[in-house]
Amino acid sequence: MSAAAEKAGDVGGVPMDARAREIRQNIIQVSHKSGHGHIPTSFSIVEMLCAVYNQMRHDPTKPHDPQRDIFILSKGHASLGLYCTLAAYGYFPIEEVYGFGAHDQKFGCHPDRMKVPGAEASTGSLGHGISLAAGMALGMKIKNEKRRAFTLIGDGESNEGTVWETIMVAAHNKLDNLTVLFDANNSQIRCMPVDGAGARFKAFGCEVHEVNGHDLAALERAIQAPQSTVKVIVAHTVKGYGCKSFSEGDGMFAWHRRSPKEDERDMLLGELDAFAR
Amino acid sequence: MLSPANHKVGMRDQFKDTVSALAETDEKVVVVLGDISMFQFRHFKEKYPTRFFNMGICENTLISVTAGLSSQGLRPFVHTIAPFLIDRSVEQIKLDMCYNGFGGNIVSTGASFDYAWDGATHHTYMDLAILRMLPTMGVVQPGSPSELDALIRQRYDGAAPTYFRLSDNPHKLDLEAICGPAEVGKAVVGADGGHAVTVMAAGPIFANVWEAAKDLPVNIVYFHTIKPIDKEAVARFANTKIVIVHDAFGLHEAVNETPGLATTYHGLPDEFCGWYGTVHDIRKRIGLDPGGIRARVESLLATN
Repeated sequence: MSAAAEKAGDVGGVPMDARAREIRQNIIQVSHKSGHGHIPTSFSIVEMLCAVYNQMRHDPTKPHDPQRDIFILSKGHASLGLYCTLAAYGYFPIEEVYGFGAHDQKFGCHPDRMKVPGAEASTGSLGHGISLAAGMALGMKIKNEKRRAFTLIGDGESNEGTVWETIMVAAHNKLDNLTVLFDANNSQIRCMPVDGAGARFKAFGCEVHEVNGHDLAALERAIQAPQSTVKVIVAHTVKGYGCKSFSEGDGMFAWHRRSPKEDERDMLLGELDAFAR
Repeated sequence: MLSPANHKVGMRDQFKDTVSALAETDEKVVVVLGDISMFQFRHFKEKYPTRFFNMGICENTLISVTAGLSSQGLRPFVHTIAPFLIDRSVEQIKLDMCYNGFGGNIVSTGASFDYAWDGATHHTYMDLAILRMLPTMGVVQPGSPSELDALIRQRYDGAAPTYFRLSDNPHKLDLEAICGPAEVGKAVVGADGGHAVTVMAAGPIFANVWEAAKDLPVNIVYFHTIKPIDKEAVARFANTKIVIVHDAFGLHEAVNETPGLATTYHGLPDEFCGWYGTVHDIRKRIGLDPGGIRARVESLLATN
């Protein structure tokens, strides 16, 4: 276990999934080449993304299949994590993502659902994706469809009032086909942390699962668990998980929106290799 | 010359009647209320319990949830009091309905100074102007229940989002007698005597405009659609002096999409109109009663 994982208590201690490692490598490479991207916040959600795409009903060859489940990345600034994950699951070649943030390219620094296969909502302003997902889940229920909606929100994002408005609406309407993944990566320690998130969501009427957000199997079990209303998976994560430069000291703040130069890229890839071994 | 209309219900009841009629044949119709108009929709709720949601006093979420419903192929109507639904939720409308392309029908009540007695927290005058700036958004300000009925039926199942602005003070003029049922994006020429001055108005304030100017030597044009604005109608009077009378912002800006016009705005002052009373009190105080409108038009005629 890395020092970062040890510091996070129950986080870490699980071998990194090979696909999760590859996704992180691609995040570093694309950010280096493009000069864009929020790497640490993308790193904290990789296992969550893998868990969702392992479990939900989707077909990368038919991104508009009416029978598909839906995933919305509400914290849209982690788009690089989403793109590299979608590429890993076959939605498009990773080479396409290298145009990240460049003029007239498909892959913006926040996702545009009209351009990116598999992106179900255009997000970027925080506190919107969860509300859209709730509306989609409600729509599925109105139409008697046995489909599910998933959304991933940040702990910083949960400073937004709409998160809690929507949670109340979702719980009141017993949206048992809506699952919210909450990235508890402590990004708000310098601002307004959402302490005791699990208890808060529980108090709002949600079914809550608290898991190690880097334990793929635990995340998938939480996704599989039956639910009678909106489910919130509070995933305890390390911002920048996998590279000590991100997760130690002030790394997560220093690297919040910074792309590595060539030597830094090599250093980060080396750190990732050492971590994953 | 326009005759009085025989409207049997107000605009909020008409909204309920129209949506209820649509729901009978269109199972995609869904109603989302923000704890307003529950009495009007009580029968709808009984008849379609799975398609009715009095969702709570959370306007931002109401808009986003409505966009989410639209994304699943449903035809939702989200409805509550105008300033809270629009002013408070502009970003949700901009991003979740417009940018995402999910659409949805937004229906507000409490237009302009309908709730004069409640003070400036309940006044709404930016809504039309802001929403017309959003790409893909349709902006409709019906002036009467019959216009509302026709416009909703034409527009509610489109892919693009539409704003319908209800008022408790509709005009009571039978515009349909001269132009047939209202058509989205098509203005009504109430009077065209080939005059050098044209009065343009939108929505319920047209009642005062008509009363003020019907016997003056002016052309009179009425809009129930702010976006898309009827550019042909504007072009027809482009060589006249145009006075735009509106108890909100939005029409003046929309008319001036046509370049080179000589327009004057007769509408709202740059201050909060928090003097309580009724809509008629406020309109009189800011010169939007028939006397005030007439005086402004006459002064324009005198300088012409």
